[in-house]
Amino acid sequence: MHRFGAAIAEARPRVVAALAARLRDLDLAEDAFSGACAAALVAWPNQPPRDPGAWLWRAALRRAIDAKRRAATRSRAVLDAPEPLPTPEEALMAADQPIPDERLKLIFVCCHPALAPDSRAALTLKVVCGLATDRLARAFFMAEPAMLQRITRAKKKIAGAGVPFEVPARDAWPERVEAVLTTLEVAYAQAYEDAALAGETAGFAAEVLRLSGLLAELMPDEPEVLGLAALVRFAEARRPARLDAFGAMVPPPEQDIALWTRSLVADGARLLDRAAALRRSGPRQILATIHATHCGRAETGRTDWAIIAALYDVLADIRPHAATVVNRAVAIGETRGADAGLAALAAVQGMDDWLPYQAARAALSARAGRRDDARAAYDAALALRPAPAERLYLEARRRSL
Amino acid sequence: MQYMILIYEPEGCYDGDGGQAALQDIVARHMALAGELRAAGIQQEGAGLQGVETATTVVTGAGGKQTIHDGPFAETREHLGGYYVIDVPDLDAALAMARRVPVMEGGKVEVRPLIVH
Repeated sequence: MHRFGAAIAEARPRVVAALAARLRDLDLAEDAFSGACAAALVAWPNQPPRDPGAWLWRAALRRAIDAKRRAATRSRAVLDAPEPLPTPEEALMAADQPIPDERLKLIFVCCHPALAPDSRAALTLKVVCGLATDRLARAFFMAEPAMLQRITRAKKKIAGAGVPFEVPARDAWPERVEAVLTTLEVAYAQAYEDAALAGETAGFAAEVLRLSGLLAELMPDEPEVLGLAALVRFAEARRPARLDAFGAMVPPPEQDIALWTRSLVADGARLLDRAAALRRSGPRQILATIHATHCGRAETGRTDWAIIAALYDVLADIRPHAATVVNRAVAIGETRGADAGLAALAAVQGMDDWLPYQAARAALSARAGRRDDARAAYDAALALRPAPAERLYLEARRRSL
Repeated sequence: MQYMILIYEPEGCYDGDGGQAALQDIVARHMALAGELRAAGIQQEGAGLQGVETATTVVTGAGGKQTIHDGPFAETREHLGGYYVIDVPDLDAALAMARRVPVMEGGKVEVRPLIVH
């Protein structure tokens, strides 16, 4: 970790975006930024300058321009003189120059629908957040060379296909914002699955938290962007309570509310209020409201399943995914009884190989007193190779039958 | 930037009742689009292709040995039916143009930048 890691992480999106806009080259922008960070180690002896972003922007821009010049004269095979560091005077001067804010453009480039959603997510986290390839590879359960190749391909496509470095035109806006949102959903799904792993990968969720906050700041009038940022905050607020002392998963209704991060819940509520004020509902806002309702137990002492079931009814209409169906059945099981929940679950077919389905079937069967069905479903769930935390949870539930 | 717009349509999409009428309609819409693009200075060239049954393929194998095949290079359900070459500022403009290319249901329009020397 860089000595000034926090200052650099804070400055990164703005500086890299400004570099990319100026240079029209993501690789060059990233390299120049890394170089400037290395130079900062030497140039900032005890503390960062007043405006670290401005310092890094000037230093990186100069490196990039030098790199371009060197590339142009490389054929002459002359050894380059070592690059001089910015002098204190230069740094001081640079601090007065505002960095152009090109972050939204950079995000739209990295999230362009001409790239596959997985590639967009990896590229955005790499370029905007500065996540290293090895960390991304771990988060996406990929080998590092494969992740590197995915990112390299995405950058080549951007450069080769002529993806413009512009905020999209108004008529293209809905589709392009949707592409940004699915990118962030892919990124957060990876972070969420990491719950059980905690430790080194927990930082990945922190980056997605930061990124979703940045998007909400850059697109304050897009309710779904605000909704997704809220959702991430509600879910991350509960992260400290998601595992018990033995490393087993704890579902939200059973979590110790004292472990929840109250400030994140409050941030989520504020974002969701702002989204609601824009009066354009959407699936992320509904999901965020479901998360908010779970978090409401910290205030009321109980989970309001009636509201959660009603929200899943609405969500099932606009986003009839398997996850919606399963979660709706669980909520119905809580409000109208386990048999009603099982009936809602039976409405869908072909999900036998899907872990959340079997886990829900097992829990509902157990509550309905159908122990054989429950045991069979727990066995089926455990055969689907759940992550360690979930496996421990399912095994304990099976034993308690 | 220059882009080639490649139009793929499902095999036999103009067969059967109403096929001819559908084809005439699509062709008329291509003519209108091409006229508009030429007037705007966007279109460089373009053409529709005759049916895939008229395609012949030259295959170069090991050692440069060449053989001639009846038919298109790949046996797929979609066939290249025509193309445009356009000159627009960037991919977004090319994609906006590609959306306007008339195709039958199941049609696919691929956008590829040209190599510029």
